[in-house]
Amino acid sequence: MTDFLQLAFAGLSVGAVYALIGIGFVAIFTVSEVINLAQGEFAALSGLIAISAVASGLPLPVAVLVAVASVAVVALLMERLTIAPVKRMTTLTSIILTLGVSTALKAVMLIVWGPNSQGLEAFPGENVTVLGVSIRSQELWILGITAVVAVAVIWFYEQTGWGKALKACAEQPTAARLVGISLARASMLSFLIAGVTGAIAGVAASPVYFTSWDSGLAIGLKGFVAATLGGLVSVRGAVLGGLALGVLESLVAGYVDTGLRDAVAFVVLVVVLVVRPSGVFTRQAVARV
Amino acid sequence: MRRIITFRLAALVAATALTLTACAESESGGESGGDDSGPIKIGAVLDITGAGASLGVPERQTLEMLAQQVNDDGGIGGRELELIIEDNQSTEDGAAKAATKLINEDQVDILLGASRSGPSFAMRPIAEDAEIPMISLAANVQIVDGSEWVFKTAQNDSVVLENIIDLAVEEGWQTLSLIRDSSGYGEGVQEALAELGEPEGIEVVTTEKFAPDASDFTAQMVNVREAGADANIIWGIPPAAALAQQAYRQLNIDAPVIQSHGIGNQVFLDTAGQSADGLLAPLGRLLVADQLPDDDPQKPVIEEFMADFEEEYGEQPSTFAGHAWDGFTIAVQALEEAGTDPQELRDYIENLEGFVGISGVFNFSAEDHSGLDKTALAIVTVENGEWKLVDDNRD
Repeated sequence: MTDFLQLAFAGLSVGAVYALIGIGFVAIFTVSEVINLAQGEFAALSGLIAISAVASGLPLPVAVLVAVASVAVVALLMERLTIAPVKRMTTLTSIILTLGVSTALKAVMLIVWGPNSQGLEAFPGENVTVLGVSIRSQELWILGITAVVAVAVIWFYEQTGWGKALKACAEQPTAARLVGISLARASMLSFLIAGVTGAIAGVAASPVYFTSWDSGLAIGLKGFVAATLGGLVSVRGAVLGGLALGVLESLVAGYVDTGLRDAVAFVVLVVVLVVRPSGVFTRQAVARV
Repeated sequence: MRRIITFRLAALVAATALTLTACAESESGGESGGDDSGPIKIGAVLDITGAGASLGVPERQTLEMLAQQVNDDGGIGGRELELIIEDNQSTEDGAAKAATKLINEDQVDILLGASRSGPSFAMRPIAEDAEIPMISLAANVQIVDGSEWVFKTAQNDSVVLENIIDLAVEEGWQTLSLIRDSSGYGEGVQEALAELGEPEGIEVVTTEKFAPDASDFTAQMVNVREAGADANIIWGIPPAAALAQQAYRQLNIDAPVIQSHGIGNQVFLDTAGQSADGLLAPLGRLLVADQLPDDDPQKPVIEEFMADFEEEYGEQPSTFAGHAWDGFTIAVQALEEAGTDPQELRDYIENLEGFVGISGVFNFSAEDHSGLDKTALAIVTVENGEWKLVDDNRD
């Protein structure tokens, strides 16, 4: 039982990171049907920026803010320079475009930070043992941060004017434009949300899972699977999907074979796309976001 | 319906694209060939990016520094030395491609690399077919087992495992668990360990595996804790070995932990942090050079290399840098003494004896293309984030 709980908890912590990345995929896809393959790179970039900021003497909270703000700017620039200029955006075009951005970001990170993995200083706190399950304080931080971010994003979409405007763009782009909502601004806003959530995932995960120039690939893929579990249109679905994927991976690694851990995400992806492409953690009649 | 189909298609394309980036291409290279005129060419295939980066980067630094030194001293027999380094991105196919390119396009006289065992396996048949001598910098004994043209400079796994079994006998450990790298570096370790342990009554009770780029080790450590062996062996390289070490401490496993010679660099200490304190590992003497007795035959060689490396790069070299020093220096000595004829080069290396290197004192022979025995490693621990010599293993 202790082992089961330990595995499940480790899975939740990893899954929370997937969930944060998944939120970013959803935020962008709902507004413009763009699948942003650079989502994982946002996380890697923010982790590396935070590590350098701490190394240059900034206190940890400031370093985290600097990292998140920088990545938000990168996300906005990416939207302005590569997404906005395209007249007729299709999902396929977006994949090709964002793959290019992802590759470019990786190259820049490799040049600037070199190839080695590094870990950010852990957030303050003591490791604890509950019911025989040993829990690192950073894992609690990851879960707490994910909860706060998820609630904040959902609140934003459901309770604020801007959030409602984004939902309107997602559901009825033409009607949204007719009532005066700017699609260009909506697209920028969605990239801002994706940049910030991705960056938060990056700094939260770095102390325990480490960051390197190419670490965005794996979590980007897992985050994408998490988002797919929510049909790519549901924030709640992406969060639940991320947590479920993390736990499933951890249990498979513990009870079946550790070598199968990374296969879990692919198997889940294929099964979901074949059986229930509208997402597992969504109601059948899809209300977006 | 159409919408769902489009979505399926898009999702599949996205997943494929994400996966494909992992296998992206890179590197371009030099021109032309030439045998007896022009520069002498040494080709190196290293794990500069990807999971083996903590090994490949210092190896590249070492090779570049040494090549500069050779050319500043007038080259090899009056001919300039040209060093061509390729990045295999820590992949097997990358290593095979790079080796083929170095041999066919650049027509190198001798091949160095790769940094890790998996990519070295991929290079071996290419060197054998082309009949070009190759010196791997990696550990697994199967890289050179029964080979004609391939040599290596990192200590064999069996050398490390013999030291671990010696340690187990000394400490009275009867059961061992193994948590190993699932790539080439960890291949065959469990079998070798079981074989070496059997005459001493030492048993391997569980074996867990991890991918070299894994980030969460809870599953493996839970199973190891469950097995309750007298001591546990983590067999990997940083960052994975460091993350595994952290998970080991996090799950409060009481049994002593032994790491392999894959952790011989500062990157491991930096990433493992406090969790490294108290581990035991058979490691190259480079890490504890300052603690070696003055009459140690390797001491002057190691100290000179360390001083050069620090002056050039402002940091301490790792044991992996040492493997590169050995490979390069053996190659240059062979090129100086035997010339560029592949057969003569090969024969020279195979008969090289008493070569005092960084990883140990090498004695190659037709049967042994790795040249090092178990005295090449000292038993080292970590205290307050620094390497400490436990046993210099010379007797």
